[in-house]
Amino acid sequence: MDLIIKHAPGAGWFDIIETGGRSTPVSFKNNRIHSAVEKQNSGYGVRINLAGKTGFSYTNDRDNLEETVKKAVLLSGYGDDEGFELPSRMERTFNPYDPSIESFDIKIEMEKAGEAISRIMEKFPGSNTDLGISRSTGNVRIMNSRGLDVSYKSSAYSAYIGTTHILDDGTKIDVSESLTSRKPEPFDRLADEVIKKMSLALVTRKLPGGKVPVILTPGAFSRMIGIVLSGLNARSVWKGISPFSDKIGARLFSASLNVTEDPLMSDSPYSFPFDDEGVPSRKKPLIESGVIKTFITDLKHAEKLGIEPTGNGSRDFSSLPAPSLSNVIISGPGISLADLIGGMGKGVLVEEFIGLGQSNTLTGDFSASLDLAFMVEKGEITGRVKDCMISGNLFRLLEGDIIFSRESRVTGSVTAPHVFFPSVNYTG
Amino acid sequence: MLKNLDQIKSRAADIVASLSCDYAEIRISSSRSTSITLSGGETDSFSSGSSLGGSARVLANGAWGFVSFNDIGDLESFSKKALEIALKIDPAEKTAVARSGAVKGSFFTETARDVDSVTPDEKFELLKKYNEILRAPSAVKTTRAVYSDVRSGYLYVNSEGSDLSYDRSYCGVSLASIARDGALIQPFHESVSGYGGFELVENMEEAAERVARTAVDLLGAESVPGGRYRVVADQKLAGVFIHEAFGHLSEADFVHENERMKKIMTIGNVFGPEGLNVVDCGSMPGLSGYIPFDDEGVVPGKTRLISNGVLSGRLHSRETALKMDEPLTGNARAINVMRQPIVRMTNTYIENGKSKTQDLFDSAENGIYAIDMNGGQTNLEMFTFTAACGYEIKNGRPGKMYRDIVLSGNVFTTLKNILMIADDGKMFGGLGGCGKGGQAPLPVSLGGPHILIDDVLIGGSQ
Repeated sequence: MDLIIKHAPGAGWFDIIETGGRSTPVSFKNNRIHSAVEKQNSGYGVRINLAGKTGFSYTNDRDNLEETVKKAVLLSGYGDDEGFELPSRMERTFNPYDPSIESFDIKIEMEKAGEAISRIMEKFPGSNTDLGISRSTGNVRIMNSRGLDVSYKSSAYSAYIGTTHILDDGTKIDVSESLTSRKPEPFDRLADEVIKKMSLALVTRKLPGGKVPVILTPGAFSRMIGIVLSGLNARSVWKGISPFSDKIGARLFSASLNVTEDPLMSDSPYSFPFDDEGVPSRKKPLIESGVIKTFITDLKHAEKLGIEPTGNGSRDFSSLPAPSLSNVIISGPGISLADLIGGMGKGVLVEEFIGLGQSNTLTGDFSASLDLAFMVEKGEITGRVKDCMISGNLFRLLEGDIIFSRESRVTGSVTAPHVFFPSVNYTG
Repeated sequence: MLKNLDQIKSRAADIVASLSCDYAEIRISSSRSTSITLSGGETDSFSSGSSLGGSARVLANGAWGFVSFNDIGDLESFSKKALEIALKIDPAEKTAVARSGAVKGSFFTETARDVDSVTPDEKFELLKKYNEILRAPSAVKTTRAVYSDVRSGYLYVNSEGSDLSYDRSYCGVSLASIARDGALIQPFHESVSGYGGFELVENMEEAAERVARTAVDLLGAESVPGGRYRVVADQKLAGVFIHEAFGHLSEADFVHENERMKKIMTIGNVFGPEGLNVVDCGSMPGLSGYIPFDDEGVVPGKTRLISNGVLSGRLHSRETALKMDEPLTGNARAINVMRQPIVRMTNTYIENGKSKTQDLFDSAENGIYAIDMNGGQTNLEMFTFTAACGYEIKNGRPGKMYRDIVLSGNVFTTLKNILMIADDGKMFGGLGGCGKGGQAPLPVSLGGPHILIDDVLIGGSQ
């Protein structure tokens, strides 16, 4: 900070982000240990606003801080006009950290992985499993010209299992499961899920094309909602690539649909007490009873759009902030999952898409192949449907009669129920 | 300032010599980079930073331990940690590596204009000038112009006594115009990059004009009618095809892990016509894929992947070369010192053939001239590529312009369907680079001459 005062005495404002972390990824490929790695990295990002324009530079070498400050000053002349004010104080803070992360042990994790893989191999000889486990800890510190100096530490643990099984007729089945936490977890349930889904996928069924009822699992639903939520990013709104630019307060979706963002959620490794600009985070509705409520933003885009900062500025030390989401919770009135599946008649249960990401985010038009999906008949899963697609319009689907399951599940940072759409274009 | 890595070099050499293991290496780099992104009328970002990084990789008891860090003061303890991790693994199948013997040398990039001697102002103004050209036509709704340079000092030592250093300079720009008419959006872009100085990115006004003009022209182009065509691929599409569809199959780690591919990729199998020669060569200075030595300290040679239509070689790391009992090729590469080297391409190209360019067009009948590539996917044997743009071929000449040209087919059939190879080879770099195993973008270059391919399925727009 003294360096900035020395090199940029006339600075309108400045902030410094300091991040540091260690992680230990262990990976298995083709049923065997592939690598175990330890990574350490830390660094500083310096942002200085001079004469209304912001310059930025970074380094991961403490000895280089003075040069970094000088560069930020030099580059400020080329920056965008930014007149926003930095946050000055923080009242509430917490550490999204669980001390039991320190009990992480490569040996134990390799044993857990070995067991999971042999259980899958036993059930499906000849299958190939990739498995990844990672432990990480980190710290973030934000200092700025208004006297803010806050920090937190965090911990994360993740496990992933992906199994590929090729049947005698050449049919390839890919099934994957993952979990995230703040502390080491058992992951036998991931292996259970993989075995369960793989067993259901062994039989291929044919469903004629047409309009069919479709249920998305929480994982598939969270990917679909992710595309819709990208339109609530203030940067997209500012760039004119959001369909929701003038839709705050508009009811665009089914009254059953509620989407909340909660950076304060306990136990989640995606939580944080303040964002990477030092703005306190808070829980907020994004979509409430189908009505668009909030754009998520960093300070720059809050100023550009004339909206309140939401505490969603995200960055590492080597980049400028951009809006991003923490935990997302999708909810609404629902019935039991058994009733949801039981009541759908003949339809499709979708686990994984391919190509959903290529949807037109402006119009909502999509056409996605189903990488893993099941046929449901009379409340029972009777086999896998493959080489098929669903298509339509995401916004139209979410506007129609949708029904949720009462039970929800966490996939990555999204908590979602199963969702039922009564009629979707299906090509088999 | 780039850190003086000389002092640390002898320390690193002592450490790798003292670890009791099968093999050990330490890589350290100090770099500074500048990047500017302009988008439409805005400066998206102009940032400059420096980073220091290192890693230790140790092979002990048949397993790798790898530790990456930026706190190079603690080199000893990180290296010991790598050994400790390796010893914990105790794999059922032990890994070993091919030896190259000690290699020593220092290398540097030749530049006409050192990027450090160019002011931020000049970098910014040059990019701004290109950006103005990109956004000049009224149908161009937005642009994306990127400038990037990286200066770095890199040092490599290993337990075989190798001692290498490389003072390098990388520079490039990427220029894109996005034209729009209602719901129809047509992007077009070109990018150059390589090892050298600021001279690599100067005088690109014509390229910027071509990008803007092509994006606008594409709005008026018709979708290509689907069907089977003879296709003349331009030098860049030929290069991208050989890199994406064939080159990745030549990476030994991939072949080694896949029984089915092992059979297909048997040396001596026929892959194409008599005149087809494909090469990967890391020792071509200036090109984006140039490496004086790979990230395992192996000096790359010229690896002939296909000779006169016959599969004649593949790309190796120390580990895969030993496993498959084939010679080292110097293709173990990492995107930076904090990542582990894996088998990657360098500069990959189809060698010149004997035909004249016009002869290809004359033999194309009512074919398609397909240019450059926007994106695509390959899945072992099948590929789907979208050409950036193209033209119908009428009477041996490019005629009206087409868009949405999606080429697909079986990689091996398509290679065998190459009818003619021209003598006008060109190489292409670009800021994008290649991605594999979560490591992207890795600088590579690719290219070839114009090639004429028979019976290519073109899907047209959906």
